Amino acid sequence: MTARPGAASTAVVTGAGGWLGRNLVRALAGEDRERIRCLVQTPAEATLLEIVSPAIDPVVGDVRDPAAVTELFEGMAGTTVFHAAAVIHPDTKVRQLFDVNVGGTGHVLDGARRAGAGRFLHLSSNSPFGANPTPDHRFTEDSPFSPHLSYGASKLEAETLVRRAHERGDVEAVILRPPWFYGPHQPERQTTWLRTVRRGRFPLVGNGTNRRSMVFTGNLVHGLLCAEVAEAAPGRAYWIADPEPYAMADVLATVRAAFEAEGLPVSGGQPRLPRLAGVVAEQVDRAVQSAGRYVQAVHVLGELKDTIACDVSRARAEIGYDPPTTLLDGMRESIRWCRSRGLSL
Amino acid sequence: MTELDTEVLVVGSGAGGATTAVTLAEGGRDVVVLEEGPWIAPDRAEAFSLEEMALQYRHHGSSAALGNPPVAYAEGRCVGGSTEVNSGLWHRIPGELAERWRHEYDIDGFEPETLDRYAGLVEGWQSVSPLPGEAPASSAALADGADRLGWRAVEFPRVYRYPQGGRAEKQTMTRTLLPRAVGAGARVQPDSRVHRLLRRNGRVTGAIVRRRRPDGTTEQLTVRADHVVVCGGAVHTPALLQRSGLRRGIGGGLKMHPTIKLVARFPQAVDHDDVPPHRITEFSPDIAIGGSASRRGHIALALADGGADATPADWEQMFVYYAAIRSDAGGRVIAVPGAATPLVSYRITDADLSRLARGLVQLGRALLEAGATELHPSVRGGTVARTPGDLARWWDEIDRSTANLMTVHLTSSVRMGQAPGRTGADSWGRVHGVTGLRVNDASLVPDAPGVNPQAAIMTIAARNADHLLDELRS
Repeated sequence: MTARPGAASTAVVTGAGGWLGRNLVRALAGEDRERIRCLVQTPAEATLLEIVSPAIDPVVGDVRDPAAVTELFEGMAGTTVFHAAAVIHPDTKVRQLFDVNVGGTGHVLDGARRAGAGRFLHLSSNSPFGANPTPDHRFTEDSPFSPHLSYGASKLEAETLVRRAHERGDVEAVILRPPWFYGPHQPERQTTWLRTVRRGRFPLVGNGTNRRSMVFTGNLVHGLLCAEVAEAAPGRAYWIADPEPYAMADVLATVRAAFEAEGLPVSGGQPRLPRLAGVVAEQVDRAVQSAGRYVQAVHVLGELKDTIACDVSRARAEIGYDPPTTLLDGMRESIRWCRSRGLSL
Repeated sequence: MTELDTEVLVVGSGAGGATTAVTLAEGGRDVVVLEEGPWIAPDRAEAFSLEEMALQYRHHGSSAALGNPPVAYAEGRCVGGSTEVNSGLWHRIPGELAERWRHEYDIDGFEPETLDRYAGLVEGWQSVSPLPGEAPASSAALADGADRLGWRAVEFPRVYRYPQGGRAEKQTMTRTLLPRAVGAGARVQPDSRVHRLLRRNGRVTGAIVRRRRPDGTTEQLTVRADHVVVCGGAVHTPALLQRSGLRRGIGGGLKMHPTIKLVARFPQAVDHDDVPPHRITEFSPDIAIGGSASRRGHIALALADGGADATPADWEQMFVYYAAIRSDAGGRVIAVPGAATPLVSYRITDADLSRLARGLVQLGRALLEAGATELHPSVRGGTVARTPGDLARWWDEIDRSTANLMTVHLTSSVRMGQAPGRTGADSWGRVHGVTGLRVNDASLVPDAPGVNPQAAIMTIAARNADHLLDELRS
């Protein structure tokens, strides 16, 4: 495949060793880009990427380190920047969310501007918007911000830096807002989640009619490549998700159907927790985070009761976004990827 | 017991109080200004020196807001208030911010044209001007480092006069507005601390004052006034109001610019007499980067923050720089019965600490680009950075137990506006729930503005003082 019209011949990818990054870098490598400069955290991640394509040129470093970011952009004038480095679940301390998501974004914006980069594609999140007021509500790009806890605050502050950089002419920026991911190259937490659903141990919180937008990593990569070239995109933000949000009960049923379609039997029933459990978890999460601490299980449980749903109409209309993969197919691909890596499901 | 009668009593003689006094006195009103601190001749202490700090700052410059980490703060306590000791950098209220305040707090008469008009008026009074010649090396380092990185930097004008062939004169309140107020008949009385306000039937009618006589003895003084305007700054204004039984919307919501410092060593000696007028504005409004007072004592103090215990022999090659942030956090001022100093607390957030770390890393980049050879952060156990690669270690080193934070900008403890519940005074500084009482100082400014607040304070004070003058005339 050759480069698409309007696409830059080179790319800089931060967070290249992450869930989205590994999917994105493979897609870019398949497009005949001359050079794909990747920021990764460890030499092991660099090695895993280098074997994908000779065009991939990893830099090992911390996105908080200005020297590493300077090296990342060396000789990369005109490049497209895919800024995907971020922390979603910090190890233990909330500070990391701000240091990486805000501080890192500041450094990458600065590196891009100084290098004379081309378009800057910033990966944001649903978290600056919180939860929808009702199960039928959909966020649009014009919905008001209402950041959910520290992660939401950090991603909103990062968006603010990106918008400001665009408005003052430092970079030509596009903000992409993907919700909950699924897809290959997933982290350990997602494999655990699939396993728990297969065994009928993942609870529905409330009656399961609350809706969640999700995005298959391949659909998100498609959205990013659309945004790289679309004329209307600079200065805009777009929701990038599967076409419609899913009822939470349907998500779990579809995952179980995907296992069966892959010839893996499922077991157990569907455990349920009262919605109150999610409300309590959110309060505990809030208290724990205000003390600077982070407990992933509590955070996730607190969000399971909510509707977090978005409308992708603007991306369809303005950048030609047309997500090709369905939930069932995407989950099947994830399961096959796990099996190919010998991960226990 | 001595008694004094006046039409308007102004409590405090700093940026807010002096502006109020001159407007009313020149408008033909009878004005008494009471100042808790002493009268110190403008040239008595060397500018930006530790002697000045001891003479003219409250508690010799070492107050602290409680919290984790605590934040040291400094405020002037002398005739002229903090204008006598600050850097004099002048920055109008950023327009976008003023608009946000106007809507968020529902402030009447806060349109951009109104603010511009008063800012222009005050700038005329204060001789706001740029340095006449080239900036000194300490300041040029900021501009040079920023330039090499392609960052925005600005040389800010200051409230200075530069007489031909003479010595630069900072236009403090004791040089500008207070002499004018006195010339128009105002009585300015130093060493006079207002203990509490007198109230009768929902109206403030004056104040009980403790005056220190030149011989060291004290006397109690009762001042009766038709109108009282409190201008004691964002800490002491709410404390006085609370001591006088006014608590609704008073003292909560304190804001500041938390600030973190480093000491840079250069290959050659640099200047030490002045505060750099250059600022790196690349990261505004979140982060402001600039230079601090850097006489020998300041360098020793800043190095001690990082754990060093002696002033190095080559201190003349060193200079103190800072990164100050706009903060998500808030604080409180609580008057403690029987104590002269209120309790001040401030809750630094994780986002704040992260922004401080970012600011210090960016400051470090600029100074290394400008030729600094060593950077000593005011962080216990912090890495002395010599190359850009060293700077990233500061992210993890700066935490609640290691960071030494300070501020010289405190605001917002009696916010202005019509919005109920979120303000302590109305759009013109009239304290809610009582008549005859106004606030007219940094306490009113709805948020820390991300820039030196003196221009904001004086602009708002001039506008509000005009409002009172109109009321007195009608």
